Amino acid sequence: MMKVSITRPYVYLLILSVVLFISVLIIAFALLIPKGKDYRLDKASLRGIKIEQNRVQVFNDKTYKNLKNLQSKNRAIITAFSTKFNAKRFEKQNSKFFEKFVLGEKQVVTNEYESFDVYEVNASSKIDSPKSFYNFLEAINKGDWIVSVEFPIIFKREAKLIHSSFKIKVYSNSKNKIINKELNSTK
Amino acid sequence: MRFSYIVPRKKTVLSSEVILLLTFFSITFLMLFFTYVFILFKDYQFTSTKKELAIKKEQLNKNIDSMKSKILFIEKQQALSERIYTKNIVLKDSIKNMFDLVPDRIVLSQVHLLENGLIFYGVTPTKDVYNFMLNAPLKSIFHRTYTSFYPTKGGWLNFVSKNYIDVDLIESANEEDVDDES
Repeated sequence: MMKVSITRPYVYLLILSVVLFISVLIIAFALLIPKGKDYRLDKASLRGIKIEQNRVQVFNDKTYKNLKNLQSKNRAIITAFSTKFNAKRFEKQNSKFFEKFVLGEKQVVTNEYESFDVYEVNASSKIDSPKSFYNFLEAINKGDWIVSVEFPIIFKREAKLIHSSFKIKVYSNSKNKIINKELNSTK
Repeated sequence: MRFSYIVPRKKTVLSSEVILLLTFFSITFLMLFFTYVFILFKDYQFTSTKKELAIKKEQLNKNIDSMKSKILFIEKQQALSERIYTKNIVLKDSIKNMFDLVPDRIVLSQVHLLENGLIFYGVTPTKDVYNFMLNAPLKSIFHRTYTSFYPTKGGWLNFVSKNYIDVDLIESANEEDVDDES
């Protein structure tokens, strides 16, 4: 029978090799592989988050574009709603349609519409023909404020002129709404 | 006495085999260590990126909500203004139609345009002129028409014509139409 003789240093070497090898295995399986797994999962979840983020960003950009479009299309209306009503200026702007045009006191406020304040102003005027009144109704749609002419409207003949009295309603953004401040700040 | 010519090799704790083995395993451990550090660094990077993205997403969502409420408000303004503009134009057309309705032979002194009615004050040469030329069209437009006459000094007749639309009747007629269509 053949006898295998291993010297003591080699036995030590072998034992050291085995110990180090086992240490490598332990480090690999106990630390690296679980961490690596976490790393892969994190990477995948981050990719998902980035895709979601991108989707939100695209939606944000789309909404912003939409808002800007709306704001530019309706600039006149937005400005009209946020402009404080000035009776003297209104009289001056529309006096060309009347022989005489007088506005009464501004009366607050019917809470007709949520988010909007509505003021009522009595107006009396003298016109030489109904055509002036038609022109006035057309002109207020292009004016600096959102104004509607309300019933009752009374026309009364006075010599060669027609005296008319009516009520106008002026609509403006409600002062109580925080949104109006924001809206004005983004204009 | 016998002498050996072989020089004895130095005995050290770290033999060349051990050094080789230790070098190999040191390199292996270093590689493992660097891999572990790399993974830890990436893990940290992922966590901070996730936090940043979460904050950014929250800001974007807030921004979107704020923009949506602004859009909604502008749409409200747009709808209201359109309604008012239409109302003014309809009013203009109504007044125009009303004046067109009155024949030249009848002279009006006062007109009251009400929400659901119309009151005329004026003079007419005869009742027939009024009935044929003004009252007939008024009756076709309004549900209720009341007229009273009283003579003037010149032989003409003053008249007061009160005309009303019954909104309830229109609404019920509309409902019937809807029912018939369905």
